[in-house]
Order: sequence, then C-alpha cells, then structure tokens
Amino acid sequence: MEKLSAQQRSRIRRLSQPKELAPDEEGGELNIVPFLDIITNVMMFVLATITVTFTATIDSFPPRAGGASARAPTTPTLGLTILVVPDGFSVKARGGNVAPGCNDTGPGLAVGKANNDWDYTTLTACVRKLKASSDAFKDETSVTISGNPNIAYQTIISTIDAVRSTPDPSGKDIELFPDVSFGVAR
Amino acid sequence: MSENQPYAIGGVGAGAAPPGGRPPQPPASMAVYKRELRRETRRRALEPEINFLNITAMLDMMTIILVFLLKSMSAQTASIPQSADLTIPKSILTTEASQEGVAVLVSKSWIIVDDKQVVPVPGDPTHGVEGKYKRGGPNDLYITELASRLQSWRDRDKQVRASTGRDPSGSEAIIIADKDTPYRLLVEVLFTLGQTEFNKFHLMVLQGSKK
Repeated sequence: MEKLSAQQRSRIRRLSQPKELAPDEEGGELNIVPFLDIITNVMMFVLATITVTFTATIDSFPPRAGGASARAPTTPTLGLTILVVPDGFSVKARGGNVAPGCNDTGPGLAVGKANNDWDYTTLTACVRKLKASSDAFKDETSVTISGNPNIAYQTIISTIDAVRSTPDPSGKDIELFPDVSFGVAR
Repeated sequence: MSENQPYAIGGVGAGAAPPGGRPPQPPASMAVYKRELRRETRRRALEPEINFLNITAMLDMMTIILVFLLKSMSAQTASIPQSADLTIPKSILTTEASQEGVAVLVSKSWIIVDDKQVVPVPGDPTHGVEGKYKRGGPNDLYITELASRLQSWRDRDKQVRASTGRDPSGSEAIIIADKDTPYRLLVEVLFTLGQTEFNKFHLMVLQGSKK
C-alpha cells in the first residue's frame, strides 16, 4: 500500500480537526436546570401547604320589612314564602299556609324535621309540587326566605339550595326558585 | 491533476532528499490521500451529542398555562381565612363567585367592613348586635356604626359608577358570614346595607356538598 508523505500526513491532520464552533454559533443558552429543580421543589411545597377553597356567591336582594307589595298583581302568583323555624319549614303560598304534606292549605308546618334534622329533600319535593300546581306559576322564580332569629346561616343557605333547583330523572336540573330575597318577621 | 499522479505539496517533490538524512517518502497518490483524509476526518469527528435540551417551547406553554391557572384560581378561590371565628357555609352551588362590591365580614366576634372592625358581635347574637349600636334600640334593625362606614364606601362607589357609565342608583356587597351566624344578625346587616343604597348582595359560600 502506498504510504503518505510527511506533508500529506500533516495536511490530513490539519484538515481532519473537528471545527470549533464560535461562541455565537453555539447554543449559548443559560443553564436553567438547577433553577428548574429549585422551582419544582418550591412548587411542590407550596401546593402541599395551601388549601384551595373554591367559592361561589348566591345573589340576593334587600330584605323587605312588612311583606305585601303596594300593587296587587294582575295574574295569580304563587308568592312563595318559606319560614325556617326550629321544628321545620313553614311554607306559605297564594296567601295561605301550606298544610303538612304540601297538598292543601291549613295549619301546621308543611315540612317537619326528619330524624331531628332539617328535611331539605321533602322541602324540595314540596316546592316542586306547588310550582307544578298551576301553569300560571311555571315562570315564577322568586322566593322569600325568612327565619326565626336563632336559625343558623348554614341552615338558611341549605334552604336556598333546596328550593333553587332539582334534578329531573334524566339528571338535568329543573329550575324552581333561584331568586331569593330575605323577609323580616315583624 | 490525475488521481493516480503523485501529489506534491509546497514544492517538496519526489527525489528532493535532505542532505545526510533518509530519503523522503514520495507522496502517495491523490486517491490514497483522499481516502486517508476521509478516514481521519471520520475518526476525529465529534460524537453527535445533545449539548442541551431545548425547553424554550415547553416553558412558553407552561408560562401560559400557569397564567391561566392563577387567573382562574384567583377568581374562584377565597382569600378568606378559615378559622374558628369565621367558617363560611357550604352550598351545592358551583357558579363563579362575584368579586364586585364591598366585602362585609360577619365573624363570631366582629362585623368587619373593608378590613376594619366596625361593630362587635355579642356572645349571644340571637338578638343581633347590642342595642346601643342600633338607631332605635334593641328591636331596631339599623346598625348605625355599620351604616356610616358603608355610606362612605357607597358615596365613593356612586362617583366611580357615575364616571364609568354604570348604574349609580345602587351598589353591591359581598356578605362573608360565619355559618353559625343567627338569622337575626344576618338580617340586621342586610337591612343596614339596604338602607345605605346597596341593592344587590352576594352571599359568599364554599362550593361543596350540602351540610
């Protein structure tokens, strides 16, 4: 085999050197890997320590002292009022007190307590029945909620939840009475 | 120059022997020279390696996602300290919380407006705040101190609303009350708000199961 001369070997050595990239040709990026390590650790601790609470707001309007409006409505209205008392819910509709069972008017609490607790499920069924009792009420969405002075805020909120809507058999929510105003018992 | 001809560099040709040394190696043919050059270049070539991971695109995405996450969290989460003194009630409602209006906190010990304590809540708040803080005594609903604090806020808000083209006839309030607040105290606060031209209340609740 032919041998290379000294000049040829020298030239080969020189030409076969790998090209050094100029600093501006290199990927001159900051090494942010340690920074990312720190951030990841900090993020994990932050997420582990904070408690995220999701909130919502229920819109309402000022309480009315008294009750009846000055002008009588021209169409029949349900005028649903729910009074939360220590023994249950007193429901008033069309100016009369709804009797226990939610079928007729009469004295007594429309929805009593069940197992010494507020029976929100029966209340929902009751107001649904009242709303369905006439076609004139199907567009009515306002309810006045009032309560005894010692009724806790949580009970009021749960009552508002109970009369807002109810799921139908297909799982879709049927709107009942989402517009809440608070009443003041005189 | 033919590939099979000897390749001379820098005028050092074949037969030019230095005096007193070995005769110089005659240059190899161009084909051999090129083959050797290729082989040497291949041998010395740097291994293809990833010098750095290009995460710029990923960081761009992460930043955008983070901004949206923080924005939605700030809109939906409460910056309310949950303590024994103030635990807001739970509701099945899952709508977005309103951020509009003056924040009125009703804790177990104080009624607070805009981070300032206004009226103390008595140990037994079943009859509302103490009679001396109300306009007409214990049976009144109008809390004087609270009303004066709210009125100054309302006056400011009215000007802001008028200058920004919104309806200046009423302001909004966010009610953040403890879950055990009695209805009487709640109504006193709402009534006072109504008297100071606040016509919409947002009752702050925690999204969760019914209690």
